[in-house]
Amino acid sequence: MGPFMPIKSAIFAEAPSTLAVVVLSNEPLLLLSTDLQIIAASISFCNAFAIDAATIVGRRLGTLGNGEWNMPKLVSLLNATASGNAKIEAYEIDLKRPNQKTRQLVVNAQILDDGQKDHVRLLLAVTDMTDARATARLKDDLLNDKAILIQEVQHRVANSLQIIASILMQGARRVQSDEARDHLQNAHHRVMSISAVQKQLSTSKGGKVPLKAYMALLCESLGASMIADQDRLSIAVKVDDSSVEADVSISLGLIVTELVINALKHAFPDQPKGKITVSYASKGRDWTLMVADDGIGMPTGPATPKAGLGTGIVEALAKNLQGTLEVSCAEPGTAVTVRHNADAEGQTAAPSAA
Amino acid sequence: MKNGRAVVLVVDDIALIRMGAVDLVQSAGYEALEAQDADEAIRILESRDDIDLVFTDVQMPGTMDGIKLAHFIRNRWPPVQLIVASGRDILEESSLPTGSQYFSKPYNDHAITDAMARLLQSKNSG
Repeated sequence: MGPFMPIKSAIFAEAPSTLAVVVLSNEPLLLLSTDLQIIAASISFCNAFAIDAATIVGRRLGTLGNGEWNMPKLVSLLNATASGNAKIEAYEIDLKRPNQKTRQLVVNAQILDDGQKDHVRLLLAVTDMTDARATARLKDDLLNDKAILIQEVQHRVANSLQIIASILMQGARRVQSDEARDHLQNAHHRVMSISAVQKQLSTSKGGKVPLKAYMALLCESLGASMIADQDRLSIAVKVDDSSVEADVSISLGLIVTELVINALKHAFPDQPKGKITVSYASKGRDWTLMVADDGIGMPTGPATPKAGLGTGIVEALAKNLQGTLEVSCAEPGTAVTVRHNADAEGQTAAPSAA
Repeated sequence: MKNGRAVVLVVDDIALIRMGAVDLVQSAGYEALEAQDADEAIRILESRDDIDLVFTDVQMPGTMDGIKLAHFIRNRWPPVQLIVASGRDILEESSLPTGSQYFSKPYNDHAITDAMARLLQSKNSG
């Protein structure tokens, strides 16, 4: 015998095309007479449930294998279907065989009635869902584990950042020198700037950081810890609805942190009022970040202070973002702009992958 | 209150964070006490009656986490003010006793001392 069982049925005289469709069905399928005798079975059925394909035709459903298909519920449903009183749709039933694991089956049955009373047939489709269900369960478990793991990691990151922030602030409260305290507080601001990204990431989806909310949080935190008189100095945030990758947001946040700290420290020595504006706007892949103040403007001449760590951070990050840094007089005050022009990419010092 | 100064109990299982919080409380001019978990916090609360505010972490080993501790304190010592900080996702405020303040970690020191001043003020005036 070849790979297929013979497509013929001496007892039932079915059309060969009907038999062929059943036999070759990928879905486990049985064609039954109303008294549940097998007229044809798909090879997939025989393979899935370990039934000898050569001898299946003519047997009764209940006698297949070790009689495991003789399930009272299934039989009564099939009988009801055959008499036109019921329809089996996605009926779930367990197939139990000795020394084998129970299989979870989903059964569909359909009556095939061509009008001849002695020629009513039942088409029974049997799908073994056991493996698919186990896979789905495993997937659910893995997704659940992943969510727990991410939460755990976020928790640890937050605690680690809290430890660093606490130690820096304890140092700042203890040191005697103003300069040292300044440095420690700046370090603390930088840590808090990166932490704000972490907080945004834990509530946003897809690893992107919505800049508006992030910049607002960042500036609020900077203002709360650096501005003694909130009526005198204020920070305004004008950011569009851009969302950026976490790495990019960390760089933008640190640039803003440095520039805002700098403006708060130097732009308003005696001014009765002052305002810092942080703005970000993007168009396509181009973007512009600006921190402007309405203070005293840049010092010029020999009094210009030596560039500090903050300047170094801003320059390095602007370059890393492939942006150009520009400091201009805003009259009144100073504006620092970082501009990224996508068309100019590759002309900067960034290594190209050519 | 002890000698005219408010008394704040800091509860956190991580020693360095607890140390930083104690330092923060002291720098704000309050008397600081510390506990490393809810059980120790409750023992301290049972042993004295001058604690004005509890500043607690959420995730801690032991029989209660910080949220359960906050509810326990609110029920047993209603006048004690509560500040809760956590490294996990922003909590539903509704899971905390009413009137308590929530902060996510890392918190801003100024925000914590502002909240402490506000809560202690409302306690004394109410």
